[in-house]
Amino acid sequence: MIRKFVGAVASALAVLAGLWLMIAPWALGSQPENRDWTDITTSEFWTGLGVAVVGLVGAISFALAIYEDLVVRGAVVVKPRRVEPEPEIVPAAPPQASSAELAALLAPLVEALREDMNRTDRAGGEHRQNGRTTLVGVEENR
Amino acid sequence: MKAKLGAGALVVLFLGGLWLVAAPFAVGYQPRGAEYADATVNDLWVGGGLIGLTFVALVVYAADALRELARRGKHAES
Repeated sequence: MIRKFVGAVASALAVLAGLWLMIAPWALGSQPENRDWTDITTSEFWTGLGVAVVGLVGAISFALAIYEDLVVRGAVVVKPRRVEPEPEIVPAAPPQASSAELAALLAPLVEALREDMNRTDRAGGEHRQNGRTTLVGVEENR
Repeated sequence: MKAKLGAGALVVLFLGGLWLVAAPFAVGYQPRGAEYADATVNDLWVGGGLIGLTFVALVVYAADALRELARRGKHAES
């Protein structure tokens, strides 16, 4: 465990050293502005880039190794990946009442209306024409 | 496995430190006999620091790995 920690710290410091090397020519003034890179700049920049990348790889590797070690020791509990519940199957909408059922349902109402109209004709003997007599008036004359 | 990759990175960094120390003379931006330029001083310090840092880390790594091996050996005997 201790070796991984020391390795991670050393790698992280190497990353910083690499970043410093990349900017050092400008920071120290050995690279004139608006000119092609000198040998110093080229050497330090590419060396710094390599040191930073390798240091980053090392730091990540040691960090992952530490994490695995902690998981094995039980200090870190890996949460099981939550399984997404499958969406419930929505039952199909019940079939709407067919027109035949609707007609059967309305048949008593139609029959009652027809009987009521016949009874009105027999009792009053008058034929109500559209727009001339209101239903309220017919009912009042009964 | 990941720790071994990290140890490999430390070895490469150690070699990079050696290159940094040698670079001013190998590339030729530090004339012989002349006073050290700022870039040379910077390379020597950074390279030397990198060498020392990675060397210590590698020694600690090896020592801890050997200690773990010895512990496993004791467990196997008992």
